[in-house]
Amino acid sequence: MQISAAVADGGHHKPAPRPNLARRKVAGRALVAIASLGGLFVLLVQILHTTGTIRAGFTDWRPILYAYLLWSIALGVGQVMIRGERGLRALFLLPAVLFTIAVVIFPTLFGFYIASLDWNLSSLEGPHFNGLDNLIALFNDTYYWNALGNMLFYTLAVLAEYAIAFGLALLLNTDIRARKFFRVVFLLPLMLSPVAVSWMIGKSLMEYRFGPAATLARSLGWDNPAFFAHPWIARGSIDAMDAWVSIPFIMIILLAGLQALPKEVLEAAKVDGANGWQSFWHVTFPIMLPVSITVLIIRIIFKLKLADIVINVTAGGPGGATDTVSSFIYRVYRDRSNVGYGTGLAIFYLLLIIVFLSVLLRLTSRRMQKVA
Amino acid sequence: MTHQEFDRHSPAGPNRRTVLKGAVSAAALGSTAGLGALTGPALAQDGLRAQISQIPGIGKGAPTDADWQKVGELCLGPTKANVQAGEFKGVELSFMGLNNQNLHNLLFRGFLKPWEAYTGAKISWIDLAQADYNPRLQQAIATGTVDFDVLEMGAPFEGDVCGKGLASEMPDWVKKQIDIEDYVDYLKPPVGTWNGKTYRVTIDGDCHNFNYRTDYFSDAGLAKAWKDAGNPGEWGVPKTWQQVQAVTKFLKGQKFKGQNAYGYLDAPKPWGGFGFYFLGSRATAYAKHPDDKAWLFDVDTMKPRINNPAWVRAIQDVIDALPSEPADQLNADPNTTGFQQFLAGIGAMIPWWGDIGQVAKASDTSVVGDVVGFDILPGSDDVYNAKTGKWDKLASGPNHAPNCAYLGWGIYVMARVNGDEKKHKAAWSAAAHIGGKDLSLWTVMYPSGFQVHRASHFKIDEWVAAGYDRKYITSYLNSQLGSYNHPNRAVEPRIPGIFQYYSIAEDELAKIFAGKSNAQTGADNIAAAWEKLTDQIGRDKQIALYKASLGV
Amino acid sequence: MSTLTSASATVRKRRGSRRAKHIVGRMLIYGALLFWAFVCLFPIYWTVSTSFKSAVDVTQGHLIPWLDFQPDWKGWRSIGLSPDSILRTSNPRDEFMSRFENSVITSVGASLLALVLGSLAAYGLSRFRYKFAWMRNDDILFFFMSQLILPPVVLALPFLVLYKALALLDTRFGLILLYTLTVLPIVIWIMRDQFNSIPIELDEAAFVDGLSVWGAFLRIILPLAVPGMAAAFILSLVLCWNEYFFAALLTSTDAKTLPVMVASQTGSQGINWWSMAALSTAAIAPLVLVGIFLERYIVSGLTTGAGK
Repeated sequence: MQISAAVADGGHHKPAPRPNLARRKVAGRALVAIASLGGLFVLLVQILHTTGTIRAGFTDWRPILYAYLLWSIALGVGQVMIRGERGLRALFLLPAVLFTIAVVIFPTLFGFYIASLDWNLSSLEGPHFNGLDNLIALFNDTYYWNALGNMLFYTLAVLAEYAIAFGLALLLNTDIRARKFFRVVFLLPLMLSPVAVSWMIGKSLMEYRFGPAATLARSLGWDNPAFFAHPWIARGSIDAMDAWVSIPFIMIILLAGLQALPKEVLEAAKVDGANGWQSFWHVTFPIMLPVSITVLIIRIIFKLKLADIVINVTAGGPGGATDTVSSFIYRVYRDRSNVGYGTGLAIFYLLLIIVFLSVLLRLTSRRMQKVA
Repeated sequence: MTHQEFDRHSPAGPNRRTVLKGAVSAAALGSTAGLGALTGPALAQDGLRAQISQIPGIGKGAPTDADWQKVGELCLGPTKANVQAGEFKGVELSFMGLNNQNLHNLLFRGFLKPWEAYTGAKISWIDLAQADYNPRLQQAIATGTVDFDVLEMGAPFEGDVCGKGLASEMPDWVKKQIDIEDYVDYLKPPVGTWNGKTYRVTIDGDCHNFNYRTDYFSDAGLAKAWKDAGNPGEWGVPKTWQQVQAVTKFLKGQKFKGQNAYGYLDAPKPWGGFGFYFLGSRATAYAKHPDDKAWLFDVDTMKPRINNPAWVRAIQDVIDALPSEPADQLNADPNTTGFQQFLAGIGAMIPWWGDIGQVAKASDTSVVGDVVGFDILPGSDDVYNAKTGKWDKLASGPNHAPNCAYLGWGIYVMARVNGDEKKHKAAWSAAAHIGGKDLSLWTVMYPSGFQVHRASHFKIDEWVAAGYDRKYITSYLNSQLGSYNHPNRAVEPRIPGIFQYYSIAEDELAKIFAGKSNAQTGADNIAAAWEKLTDQIGRDKQIALYKASLGV
Repeated sequence: MSTLTSASATVRKRRGSRRAKHIVGRMLIYGALLFWAFVCLFPIYWTVSTSFKSAVDVTQGHLIPWLDFQPDWKGWRSIGLSPDSILRTSNPRDEFMSRFENSVITSVGASLLALVLGSLAAYGLSRFRYKFAWMRNDDILFFFMSQLILPPVVLALPFLVLYKALALLDTRFGLILLYTLTVLPIVIWIMRDQFNSIPIELDEAAFVDGLSVWGAFLRIILPLAVPGMAAAFILSLVLCWNEYFFAALLTSTDAKTLPVMVASQTGSQGINWWSMAALSTAAIAPLVLVGIFLERYIVSGLTTGAGK
């Protein structure tokens, strides 16, 4: 991803060193040091308390959370005191980083640990370490690879969703009557929960006998509208439901991007005599490229987690044709309580996605620079 | 009465239970005393049973919250005998169970409201959706986050909960209060016990029976067409799977009441492990030999039998029948076949738990109420003998083996209340109230999610008085009783992780039914995966528990 | 689009008049709009109308109230929200109300928290160059994004253990923290693009006017980023509102949210179409209100955009 637009480092640095700067720096460092020591102390007390070494301590680890919060505040203040203007800038990023680290670091590490275990919750012996066995088993798991293959299709389908969503965003951005009505209506599908979508649409609206969609299909000449019995049709139907829910997601972000487009640019294109298509292709689309790539990538990430609809509507069938990696992992992890292997599958999938996205980002960033 | 639910099959991994003969006899002693004590007020009790079976009356619409509370209030008698008013003041209990289509836990709330008012205890509720039940329970156990005192649980989980010492043993006064000897035979120990200790207040019973359309099989037009097609024998309700196959193939292309006629409905789509029971119902008549208690694994080695000729034949039957079933059948799970097909008038035969019979008559979902008949599962002309590797023809005629699948729900109290005597008594009193003998009559008559499970539930007169049609309810109850008491019944192997076995099998079966592999290859794959799973969970222990569950 | 429209389009084009072309264009636009509105609305209509149907009306595919089915309050009665049951005690309604309240608090709380944290971080990433050990802006962004990729299954058991230790199980606060984590990456991404599209010259002008970094951000830039914030907030809200996996895992009594109750309408005996439809309808109602209300702020980008 390119560091697009403006990078303003140093642009408005205030150089004037004040006499008390040094003292402030020292005070800042002291603050951070004291806060860190205090935090570590609380942590140490609690660890010793939990292991039973000392009596004093808290009944649970909640105070550690508060200590972390105080430490974070001290760190932020300290940054400003020590680094002045640069500290102020760091303050933008710091809360999100500290928050994410706090919430995710332990669970992620623990997750990697679980992935290296042979742990079936039904086993009386409990978990035991088995190194890379889960990884090796995974390579021989035909269900997993079949699901990965299906993900290719699902991921490619994002492009079609994007095209439709862009069209809708453009429509909504033109000068139309009842614009507000259409905008709200186009947003609605996003709001239905996946469970409701699976049942109210997948199992009712698209039902073979009574579903209105099947009735419509029959009247259009498809005698046998079984939406989930043939592999390709089933895959398409599942994706259509997912697309129905998520097109508004893409649309709303593209729309927000279109709204922020400088009008002058389009007007300039018009003055140059560009017709609608030309001005879209040569002006709007390139300007929208960063937003487009963002939304495509977010959308792909969500698509790669597709599970609920598949689980509820087809359970991966017919014969694994609609199975997704996530729905397979859910079966292993939840239905079969095979948490070690299930976590291993998920972590491997995570690594695959990271590699895939890194490549994608590198490719797109080159492309975007070319445009720029 | 309506469609709401009676759910019984949770997604669960069964477990082990062992039987100690000593405990059984102790329980027996305890409850004979109980029975003696009850003969006195028997008359008053009959009045009570008649009274609650009229709330709100069969055919008077779905019972509401107010009805549940009324029933709970009327059935407080046994509680009052053991607990003083306000005795549990200040006690707070946490109750975890299902919210299955606004029944189960929500029903218990209604039953327990008067109990709370009387005893002074307060209950907070943890409601789970069916699909979350198994993972939530297993993960709570694994991470030590058990945060409930009373638990609604399916029998298959007992090994995970009771086997790990997490449950509280049932006190004798509870056994007496709920009249534990009244349970039908197949729900008596070892079910509900672990190492000889009793843990479970049974509120439900489960077994697959055979549901068919009486109008199909008494139709003159179809009978003629059957003869004309050169089929042997009279047109009638199939008694064996061979006949089921023939009828299903015959009905393809026939018209019945202006609609396409269909015979047997299979459920090829996975259903969280529960779908495997439906292959099981097709297979037990082939695979369960009267001389052999085992039918899913070899007893001594846990070697799977899923790829033996009996099971492969059942799988092949499904493959052969599918082309004669509706066009979208590949995406049908048991839920679909039962509630969206059979009850909506599509298909002539399905196996199911007792729900279908209860719902067929009274629910608005159903358009087939008056034309459903019931029987035990079909038999087979020949049965596979795993010991000799040959197909036997029994002198007694076709081999029947009803599939006693899942065994229903129960109420359990967790061991964490043991330290607090007041709480312990309160939790057990709550469990005993929900599992009360009279209250259970109401739950099995009305939409609750629970089915007949006591000997006292089979008094036809009580059902007729409540508003059921005598012929219908007799047919229904006989099919249940005939399965429960069948000498060759195939009782679910209650070993740890049994649903993991089922879930794996479902995945592979789905591939077979979609034509991606043939019956034998697919069955071999299942067997290989099962062997791996047995090793993972621990083969020696599985063998011991499997033996215990079979009583060998 | 239907063949009819394109056929008539060809006919009109032949006339060649500019005005006709304009009219055809408008018709195409409105045709497309109406078609898509139908695609969006029909399933919603199906859901809402199903909450007034009995089972037979569902399984026979009846569509139009009064004409081919007689609406009744069945679905709403089952959750105690029909006119005749609203005044009586109802366990399902109590359940619904407490879950509804928790859903509102957790999803709004998490979305706001994510919006605050995310907008700050996004502005920072858009305007300044950071260096954290080996990590630069791109890497930091990727770090945030990787939280989005993380399959929830990886976190299930760890979060149970962690939350037990922190006494956060079954608390709204615990859910808010977790939901903030899951939507934060999206907010950061959306907002960073939003800030990137706002010319840096505006910041510089603000500095010239003597505003500090934070002053420029709060007074000048943030108001211009309102469309993006509205979009990000709506998306976060919807994602949190419908989150199921962790809600089922980490809550029991005090913090339970709606999706589990919606899922509870299916079970071993088919499905209660009517009550699932009623619950789904009740559950999207507040989101629709938010959509109507916030959609205006997305539009407001038009005016601010024109002003720059």
